Amino acid sequence: MLLTTSVGSLPKPDYLMKARTQARRGEITAAQLRALEEQATREWIETQEALGVDILVDGEQYRGDMVAYFSEQLGGFKQSELVRSYGNRYYRKPIIMGKITRRKPITVSWWTYAQSLTSRPVKGMLTGPYTIMDWSFNEYYPSRRATTLAIAQVVRDEARDLERAGAQYIQIDEPAISTRPEEMDLAIDALGIVTKGLKAKTLTHICYGDFKAIGPKLRRLPVDQIDLEFANRNFELLQVFKRFGRFPKEIGLGIVDVHSHRIESVEEAANNLRKALTVFRPEQVYVDPDCGLKTRSVEEAKDKLRVVVEAARVVRDELRSGLSRNGAPGRGRAVSHA
Amino acid sequence: MIPTAIGNYPKVAEATYGTKLIGTLTRWQRKELSDADLEATCRTITRAVIKEQEAAGLQVLTDGQIRWEDLVTPVARRLDGFEINGLSRYFDNNVYYRRPILHKTPRRRGPILVDEYRFAASCTKKPVKAVLPAPYSFARLCEDRHFKRERPFALRMAELLNEEAKALARAGAPIIQFDEPALGFGKPDVKLALEALSVATRGVKAQTAVVSYFGSLDGALTPLLRAKVDIVGVDVVSDPGALARLGRERITSALSLGCLDARNTKLEPVSALHAVFRRILKQVPADRLYVSPNCGLEFLPHPQARAKLRRLGEAVRSFSAKRRA
Repeated sequence: MLLTTSVGSLPKPDYLMKARTQARRGEITAAQLRALEEQATREWIETQEALGVDILVDGEQYRGDMVAYFSEQLGGFKQSELVRSYGNRYYRKPIIMGKITRRKPITVSWWTYAQSLTSRPVKGMLTGPYTIMDWSFNEYYPSRRATTLAIAQVVRDEARDLERAGAQYIQIDEPAISTRPEEMDLAIDALGIVTKGLKAKTLTHICYGDFKAIGPKLRRLPVDQIDLEFANRNFELLQVFKRFGRFPKEIGLGIVDVHSHRIESVEEAANNLRKALTVFRPEQVYVDPDCGLKTRSVEEAKDKLRVVVEAARVVRDELRSGLSRNGAPGRGRAVSHA
Repeated sequence: MIPTAIGNYPKVAEATYGTKLIGTLTRWQRKELSDADLEATCRTITRAVIKEQEAAGLQVLTDGQIRWEDLVTPVARRLDGFEINGLSRYFDNNVYYRRPILHKTPRRRGPILVDEYRFAASCTKKPVKAVLPAPYSFARLCEDRHFKRERPFALRMAELLNEEAKALARAGAPIIQFDEPALGFGKPDVKLALEALSVATRGVKAQTAVVSYFGSLDGALTPLLRAKVDIVGVDVVSDPGALARLGRERITSALSLGCLDARNTKLEPVSALHAVFRRILKQVPADRLYVSPNCGLEFLPHPQARAKLRRLGEAVRSFSAKRRA
């Protein structure tokens, strides 16, 4: 119980950032870049093992933006010129120009490489169909629904290939799902296409949005686990879950904020986790940072992961000793008013 | 028919006026460049953006809002009472803005946009409209820790924006446009929005416009069309049912019809635009009909933004030629 993991991205070390710029300018070859991406992946796997993380990620050292990465590999997309995201930040928003196809597996070789480095499970990491649709322009499909369902087909193929390669956990991120509550049913339908028939444990990460509006439908998402950011909002989300009664799925609990440089103390993170266990049962809880750590420095990311692992260990030990004293592991406080 | 733009326009254009603004802003933030350096870059881009609108055949232009990070920050930053805060999602877009926090009764220190307006107007012989956030949408986009009630906040903003609108009119703006995107979402207080708008436009010696975009107006459409302004803008792209609903309305003001999708790259065929024009001209005479993209063009990469404006100009030209023939 209280297995620890992380959401997906980890910061790229300086040497890799530099190499990516050089590769863009044609100063180094694709093979040279690949070797450095593998080195960074190897280092992150070693770091996660050393810190004691239970379920690992490859750290996405070879990806830029989570939608652009897939759109560059899939057929049917064209890359655009710059559009502004906020302030002085710009990105290239893909344009769907034709039928979306998957020419070959996209993430499988990276997953296989990362898994070959460790005996602990490494999660397969995909971006979900609704998010790819919402974060792209569309010149081909007649509607948002048609676009999303077409993308779901190729994401499903990728998920199946990951499972065939041996992935025990397949995460399909849908950060855009909270943008338009009225389209939640579409997102659920699309995710259902992706996860149907998978035997691997499936999970989805959703961030910042109107959880009051989408909250009641979270339980209908066709995945085994939903991973959410809790720390960033002072655990206000717990109130939302309290209102909805006993939550039938596993829950990934973000207990450290990824948007702040401050490293939380183990006690603070453990307290957050204890608070969460007044609403969720320990058996259904996975513990991680709020979101991908790629915006932190390498040192900050390690420190935040260390806090997550330590806090989970502290609380796990408490629950176990509670078990030996009372026979029933904190059940009274772990179950909501269901 | 009068082709026009709504407000913002891409700040960078890899093929034409370049991406200089990104580096200039970064260096200005690090204090490696002066305010004057930044201003010079903004002016160069503003002039280029105005030329592109002219070339596309627009009859009423905007300055492209090159200095605007979002609809509220440029105004909030130059008023007393606000703190510019963290990022929030901008309505239903994958675009973020900095949500201002109101700490005390807001006050106007002086003109906010007048110098920028004067410069833009000097770049062209065509009329340039001035664009402001409508008081109600402005209030909705802020976090109010002072009044803690929508009504006094919106009405106070209306007074401040009224002073700015008067100043812009004195600077020569023939049209002052108030952007009201918040009406398309949730259950907006339409009555308050219109009351605040009437305060904001009171005594302004220019034509006034209110432009709504995004979401769906539903019950807000009829009252919006009765707003005490000269021009009412309706987005018939975000809500495809809006055109049919407009057909059932009596339209007494001039209408600004947002009929090209400024949030998707796909270019509308001329024939489709002509069909929309024909439909709306049954209700609004051509000299009181503005046609435009449904919102600012900054959601699009520059080539597609410019293509939308050109398509708009082309559609209006060919439509008018056909009607004359």
